[in-house]
Amino acid sequence: MARRPQATAAKSPPERSYAWVQGLLCGVAATLVPGPALLVGLLLAPGLVSLLLDQAPGKPMARAVLLSGTAAAIPPLAALWHGGGGVSAAIGLVGDPAILGTAWLAGAGGWLLNEMAPLLLRLGLDAASAAHAARLKAERARLVSEWDLGEL
Amino acid sequence: MSASADASPDEALVGGLYAVDPARPLPVADGAAAFAASRPGQPGAFMALEVPSGMAPRAAALRALLDSPLPGLISPLAHGPATLPGRKPALYVICPSLPGPSLAADRPLWPARELITDVLRPAAAVLARLAARGLTHRAIRPTNLFRAGPGEPAVLGPAWAGPPASRQPPLYEPPYVAICPPAARGEGAIADDVYGLGVTLLVLALGQEPMADLDAAEIVRRKLAFGSLAAILGDDRLPPGIGDLARAMLAEDPAHRPSPAALAEAGAGRIGIGVGRTPRRASEPLILGAEEALEPRALAAAVGGSPQHGVRLLRLGAVDKWLRRSFGDTALAHRIEDAVQQHGREALEDEARADAFLVMRAAAILDPLAPLCWRGVWLWPDGLGPLLAEGKSLPGLADLVDSEAISAWAACRPGRIDQALALRQARQNRMLLRTRGWAGGTARLAHALAPMLPCRSPLLGGRLVADLRHLLPALDSAEKDETRLPLDPEIAAFILAHAGTALEPELAALPGPPSTAALAVLRVFARLQEPLRAGPLPRLASWLNACLAPSLAAWKERRRRAALEERLAALAAEGDLAAMLRLLEDPSARALDAQGLKQADEAVRRIDAALAAIAAGAEARAETARRLGQEIAAGIGLVAVAATLSVLALG
Repeated sequence: MARRPQATAAKSPPERSYAWVQGLLCGVAATLVPGPALLVGLLLAPGLVSLLLDQAPGKPMARAVLLSGTAAAIPPLAALWHGGGGVSAAIGLVGDPAILGTAWLAGAGGWLLNEMAPLLLRLGLDAASAAHAARLKAERARLVSEWDLGEL
Repeated sequence: MSASADASPDEALVGGLYAVDPARPLPVADGAAAFAASRPGQPGAFMALEVPSGMAPRAAALRALLDSPLPGLISPLAHGPATLPGRKPALYVICPSLPGPSLAADRPLWPARELITDVLRPAAAVLARLAARGLTHRAIRPTNLFRAGPGEPAVLGPAWAGPPASRQPPLYEPPYVAICPPAARGEGAIADDVYGLGVTLLVLALGQEPMADLDAAEIVRRKLAFGSLAAILGDDRLPPGIGDLARAMLAEDPAHRPSPAALAEAGAGRIGIGVGRTPRRASEPLILGAEEALEPRALAAAVGGSPQHGVRLLRLGAVDKWLRRSFGDTALAHRIEDAVQQHGREALEDEARADAFLVMRAAAILDPLAPLCWRGVWLWPDGLGPLLAEGKSLPGLADLVDSEAISAWAACRPGRIDQALALRQARQNRMLLRTRGWAGGTARLAHALAPMLPCRSPLLGGRLVADLRHLLPALDSAEKDETRLPLDPEIAAFILAHAGTALEPELAALPGPPSTAALAVLRVFARLQEPLRAGPLPRLASWLNACLAPSLAAWKERRRRAALEERLAALAAEGDLAAMLRLLEDPSARALDAQGLKQADEAVRRIDAALAAIAAGAEARAETARRLGQEIAAGIGLVAVAATLSVLALG
């Protein structure tokens, strides 16, 4: 009688969710500094969305989008900071299409870079491998011909 | 190009001394084609006897007589191959010219006194000297006895240009010899010469040849049925003066015949043993096919001549019953019964061979004088070589050797043959037959048993080689056929017969695969070239070089092989076979080639492994690219953040 297969892997512990911490921090930030929180939330909206969408370990796409967006969000955030940091100033800055567009385009650039870099790297690695294989094949053909090795 | 057209001057001289004149054929002596010959610088007339194709001259007699010819005998002076204009290459035996006409042509009727003084005594004296040297003549008949003129003693004619007794009409041979094919009669004994001399005396005394209109089988049958003397005389009366002599000389059992020495001293009335009586007969004949036998010897001949009928009668018990009831010889019947019982045991393994053994044993038991009978062929053991040399496809000769039938036959004739010697010869023959490759087989056996058999390989292009020294030059001048090796079983057998067994391993490896065959042939010829002082052999070397292509494939490095081919071609042009062999068998070069091959093989395997790894690494490369690309994207983002902060900080 066939034995029942034993469970080979122990049950992995349930992943802890830190969403409540993030929600708590967002709530605290919105309460304490509503202007900057609004500005950051809108400028980094693509990154935040990608955080939700990116299921890959380490969330590489969200990371790239957020970092690129952050680079574009720093000047308006600094301007808001120097302008008092009110909600109305934040709305004014967000209302500027150039600022919002720059931030979102930076996010899109981050995403594009995250997608293109592996592709280009792969093309490069494949080309290097093909060149190496061609050198090896040429050497093999020389040996086979010189020593009458036939098809090994 | 005809064989005669390209004959070198040496090829026209027999033994390098005697010039043969093909335009002067001589009256047939010993039944062979004969031509006048001369020796430059030496007076006297000579005669060249042509050895027929497929036959070997008598080696033992030639060796014994060449250096010390006997008086009263046309002794051989030289022998060797020659290519005469208008004739195929052949072996010739040089003898002194005949002293006069043969006795057959001399006079029709001979008086007894003259027969004794001019024929019997001188011929018997020669036979006695031959016997003292362990030789026989085996060609004594009126047409081969000569004398210079009336009153001169008769001289025995030549008998060397073919197997013993091969030209004897059956009348002049005892029935146990005449029953054999001409090539298979063997050297026989001096008593057989006495028999031939006795018949010659009778024929000369009678003035005619009895049974001239009968075929050989009928002559043998009559001799067996009535006894030789009665069969020859028929209705004639025994000539006065030689009656007792003839009776004694024609005794059926050779042990009962007088010795040549006794005959040489004989007067007409001094020898008369009186054993030439008619054989005892059975009360009723035994019918065997179309034959009927009244005597065991005649039955033996009938059984051997018709083996299928013989086996049937023997197995049915008809023969032993006939021996017991009609012939009255219970002992003989018991021996036949034993042979039939032995057949029953042997038939379990191989029925056809057991049948052949049964016939052989029955014939030997019924006629202790009879030769060996194997599948319908009668032969004396020492006639096997010439019989094989004839090249006729006689059935079962190889089986005879393979079954060591000669030793079984000897065992059936106790006291008449050296059984230990027969066993040794039978085993040696079987070993030669069974030797692997071209070192064995019937060709090897034929050349081993007939050592003066010339080489007639088709590769020689019609040339004939009788001396090993001439083999390589003959091959060198033959038209080369690069699709074949310049060596075949015939040449291999000839080499082994003349050069000993040192080359046997190489020849046993032939024919073998093409990659080794040509190299083995080169090894054989190279080992012969120097000892035989064959000189440069450019055409043979070139022929071999063409055949060596598969052997060169054993050299793996292309550059080395190309260099080797170039060097081989140069050595072939010089005709130096030994140098070619040294080049091909150079151990250090071969070791280098083998080592290089091993390294190249390992390198190729490493490359194959690397290529396989590259082919299998696409997924790993993709994963690496993805991971690294993402890190790079993140890194660029960080750099951008840092740069923005720096710009802000600096103002």
